[in-house]
Order: sequence, then structure tokens, then C-alpha cells
Amino acid sequence: MHEVSLARAVWRQVEAEMARHPGRGLLAMDLVVGAFSGADPESLAFALSLLVRESDWPDADVRIRTEPLTMACCACGREFTPEHFDPACPACGSVDTDPIRGTDLRLESLEVETDDAETHSAR
Amino acid sequence: MPKRIRLDKAIVTENDRLAADLADRYDRAGVLVVNLMSSPGAGKTTLLEATARRLAGAFRMAAIEGDLATDRDTRRIIDAGMPCRQINTGGGCHLNAVQVREALDAYDLRDLDILFIENVGNLVCPAAFDLGEHRRVVVSSTPEGDDKPIKYPVAFRLADCVVLNKTDLAGATDFSADAFRGYVRDIKADLPVLEVSCKTGDGLAGWFQWVKEAREALGPPAPDAE
Repeated sequence: MHEVSLARAVWRQVEAEMARHPGRGLLAMDLVVGAFSGADPESLAFALSLLVRESDWPDADVRIRTEPLTMACCACGREFTPEHFDPACPACGSVDTDPIRGTDLRLESLEVETDDAETHSAR
Repeated sequence: MPKRIRLDKAIVTENDRLAADLADRYDRAGVLVVNLMSSPGAGKTTLLEATARRLAGAFRMAAIEGDLATDRDTRRIIDAGMPCRQINTGGGCHLNAVQVREALDAYDLRDLDILFIENVGNLVCPAAFDLGEHRRVVVSSTPEGDDKPIKYPVAFRLADCVVLNKTDLAGATDFSADAFRGYVRDIKADLPVLEVSCKTGDGLAGWFQWVKEAREALGPPAPDAE
């Protein structure tokens, strides 16, 4: 329901990064959407596609990967992906567990144009 | 040849930034802020009315009300003795930090012990919008069914307390309090469930106690940075 504002936040981040690489084109962006992030990947992809289309790089790909919720058990250290968000540790039964992955929305990477010469030069 | 730039940056929204500012402001003023969420009609306003009446002597309290339309709930809370400021969201399905910041102009936070924010009735979107609050409370009610916690896991997972209202109607609706508590445990094992009936007053003492303890846990105002 709020993916438009999330898409804007993602886009601000993309533009800030692209400003550091003037003259380059944006080819693709990779996002990770956690299962417990509260964001819907399809709505987010749709909202971002509209921003991309209006941008300087209208053909850039929006790639979204979903990340399952991963919990860690504070008692035995086991990491697990809970079914139906059941937080109890499947190994030892402890309910002292914390989510460690799958709770946020991340901009993982950007793919930008560059020339061959530059790929060999140090950044 | 394309070049990959690895960022791995968590997306911080404008709302997150503003919410962090609000949280600072609450702490500097030393006011406990409680964000109440529920489906429409679960009893958030009735709970606040009861709170206004019962705790008026103990704390200086105020409220912010979120609704799509009308100031009906604000009038009810004011009638119960608590200052209240209405936010009408129009089509908006949740309160955001910008709206709360504007509504705060009505109050001098240093004159308050507790500020309640009654969110728009909705168990989906409000959960995703931090308002800088110290505590989140989900109000659920027996006619909604005992499986609410697993159907709306995000709201329950992020809550600090669940108030189960309308226990006086449980018999009429085949509601199982044991099943409800089981589902809450499945989502968040240590989440307290307070069974109340705002209509009969049953169990409200537990809620008042929770509010008092939350207020005590906050302690005095944070020293000013300047």
C-alpha cells in the first residue's frame, strides 16, 4: 500500500549513486525485498518501472529478489526460516530468537555502462 | 562492458528519517508515546476514553487521532477529558511521521507525561510506518476471530502489547482466547496479551498497569544536547 513512497526512496538512492558516475548510463538495479519488510515486490516493481521510464535511463532493468525471513536462535545458535512466522527454534524449541535477515529492503547493486579501458583502471 | 557497483544499502525512507527526529523530540521532552493500531471497530477509541477517565489524576495525557474522515473520535476523547487533535487522512490508510509532526504543533510536549497516537483503523499499512513511538499496541477484539495474529503477522510481530477487547462478546462469537493466545505466541512468544472489556470494565486494570509501567520505564527527560 505504500510502495510508491518506497520506490521514491529507492530511486533517490539510485540517483545519488549515479551522480557519482557522471556520463554513465544505468543498465539495471538489483533490489532485495525481505519477506518481513512489509513491501510487496510486484507493487514495488511497478512503481519503480514508472520512475525509470521517466528518467534519463528509461530502459534500465529493475530486478527484484525476495529474501525469506531468517531467524537465529539465541540459545543454540541455529539459523532457520520459520514457517508461518513461528519464531520457535526447530532444533531446541527455544522462543528466544531474533530475525537476522528478511526484514528490510535493500539496494544491492547497480549495473552501469562503462568502457573497456576503464574496467582495467583502479577506482 | 557493464560494470557492477555493489551497494548493499538498506533503503531509508523519508518517513524513517522523520520518525527518528520525532523519537528524539519525544525523548528530550520526556513524554511516553504510544501508537495504537487495530482493524476498524476493535475499540481503540473506547480504550482511550476509559484511559482518559481512569488515569487523568495520575498522568498529564493527550492524544492524536487518525481517521479518513470526521472528528467524531476526537470529540469522544475530549468529552472523556483528554486533549485530542484530529488528523483526517482523506484517502490515506495510515498515519505517517509528517502528519504527526504537524499535529504536534498543538501541544507543548514538555507539559505531557503520555501521548497516545490512535492510528487509522487498519492492520496492514500502519505497521510499516514508524511514528517515532516508544510503544506499539495492537488492539484486537473477539468478534474479529481468534486467528487475527497469524493473518496479520507483521503488525503483531512489531507490537509491544496486545489488548484483546470485547471479551464480554466472546461467548456469542465462538472466540477461543486460548487459540488467540496460541497464535500470538506463534508470532512473538513474549508478547503480553491483556484481555479486557471496555464496555464492562473487566480487565482494564491490567491495561492501566501496563501504561503505568511503560511510563515508569521511560524515566526522566533526556538531557538537552545543546
